[in-house]
Amino acid sequence: MGFAYKRRIARVLIFIVLSIVAVVMLYPFYFMINTSFRSFQQYQSKIGHSLSSWMALFQNLPVGRELLNSAIVTMGAIALILIVSTMGGYAFAKLQYKGRNAIFLVIISGMMIPMQSIIIPEYVNLANLSLINNFLGAILVYAALGGPFSTFLMTTYLRGLPNELMEASLMDGLSYPKIFTRIILPLSLPAMATIVVLQFIQVWDDLLVAMLFLQSPSVRTITVGLATLQASRMTNIPVLMAGSLISALPAVLVYLFFQKYLVTGLTMGVQK
Amino acid sequence: MIPILQTIYYSFTNWNGFSASWVGVGTYINLFRDSVFWRVLLNNGGLLISISVALFLPLVTAFLLTQRVFAWRFFRSVYFLPTAVSWVVIGMVAMRFFNGMLSGEISALIAVLLTFIWSVFGTNTVIFVTGMATMDESLYEAARIDGAATFQVVRHITIPLLKRFIQFAFITTLITAFTALFSLIFVMTGGGPGYGTTTLEFFIYQQAFTIGNFGYAATLGVVLFVIVFAISIAQMRLFKGNEGEEG
Repeated sequence: MGFAYKRRIARVLIFIVLSIVAVVMLYPFYFMINTSFRSFQQYQSKIGHSLSSWMALFQNLPVGRELLNSAIVTMGAIALILIVSTMGGYAFAKLQYKGRNAIFLVIISGMMIPMQSIIIPEYVNLANLSLINNFLGAILVYAALGGPFSTFLMTTYLRGLPNELMEASLMDGLSYPKIFTRIILPLSLPAMATIVVLQFIQVWDDLLVAMLFLQSPSVRTITVGLATLQASRMTNIPVLMAGSLISALPAVLVYLFFQKYLVTGLTMGVQK
Repeated sequence: MIPILQTIYYSFTNWNGFSASWVGVGTYINLFRDSVFWRVLLNNGGLLISISVALFLPLVTAFLLTQRVFAWRFFRSVYFLPTAVSWVVIGMVAMRFFNGMLSGEISALIAVLLTFIWSVFGTNTVIFVTGMATMDESLYEAARIDGAATFQVVRHITIPLLKRFIQFAFITTLITAFTALFSLIFVMTGGGPGYGTTTLEFFIYQQAFTIGNFGYAATLGVVLFVIVFAISIAQMRLFKGNEGEEG
């Protein structure tokens, strides 16, 4: 019964515990996949599989349209957030001017405001501009919600780049806008990737904003479409599970491919 | 920034979305006299308590993961997966899973809390694993040579060094619990039975968009902002106090 032997037993035990946790985490996904490949009768009898629920989903519900709407809103919001955060980050990290820190502080405190605290006036403001049921309205709201954190992230990242880079470029006769497009933008690609992944998941998975600002069926996103099915007391669970899977898939794929950037983004706030 | 100022202004009015007339601090007095408000706040209290579990379990798991047993990276990815899944989908599945529990006020709240803990488990685990990865291995070696037991190593080395990460995880989990569970509750319970699972953020939505009581909702919005802000500040103070004690 040496030390090495005890150590090995401990490691096997750890592996078993971690496996059990993995089962707890994966079971809901197994349930979704398994159930979606059953018809309603098969679900009740728990025997057999078929594609009938998937066919019902695509035939009876505007899933394609909703996926497209989600894509438009998500891409639009990400594009706007990228423009704002790279320019903002550049201005906060690399340019010197009066009141810079004060403005930065205002942006940072914007991160602390819960969405529910501002959603009502936001709704009325956009209604006055008749931007309800308009993609642009939702895109603006998402950009306003995701902008502060993304700008903060970009500023933190750009502060890490050496100032000599700026000075050398100025000496070479590059103007501030040129430095931004030729030097800062290419260098900030990793931070941009982090922002894209975080915001993709945020916007794609959101319910509240999409539900309030994109109400009519023609502009409805997939997440809202799914919640509407649920709220209409639809009881065909296999079809609901197929819908859940299709709505979750894009964000899960983004997660699987860009996991590294997501972790960076989530823990960036700690490094202060 | 402008919307929060608008919210503060409207919180003193009886706004119905079209017209608003000034009421003053009376709106807040009415709020604090409303028994439903306190009932809802109690649910937020439940969430606050569940955060301790939502931090403790990931802390233990992260410690096990950093022992780097076979396939630990795979486990880490699996735990993190719910981060990418919407609350709507999570609520949809959780509803079937906790089917029998959603009809009682307390059991429904427990079902929501368990789903919440499950969902943030991976995010917090990854935060702690990242934190543990920044630690100096030689510290552990030294402790082992001194003959410190595993428990002592965790208590006196891991936890203090992880403080920043625990604080960060607490804040993000708090913000999730108080401001991001709307969709989950909307799908899973609709806030019921009764007010059994209505949290402050869900109450705001109900007041504004179901009842049309925008002024009251704005008042609630200010209260929510103040609560999140106050708890954040309080925990920062608390941790600072500990630092003095240990140093």
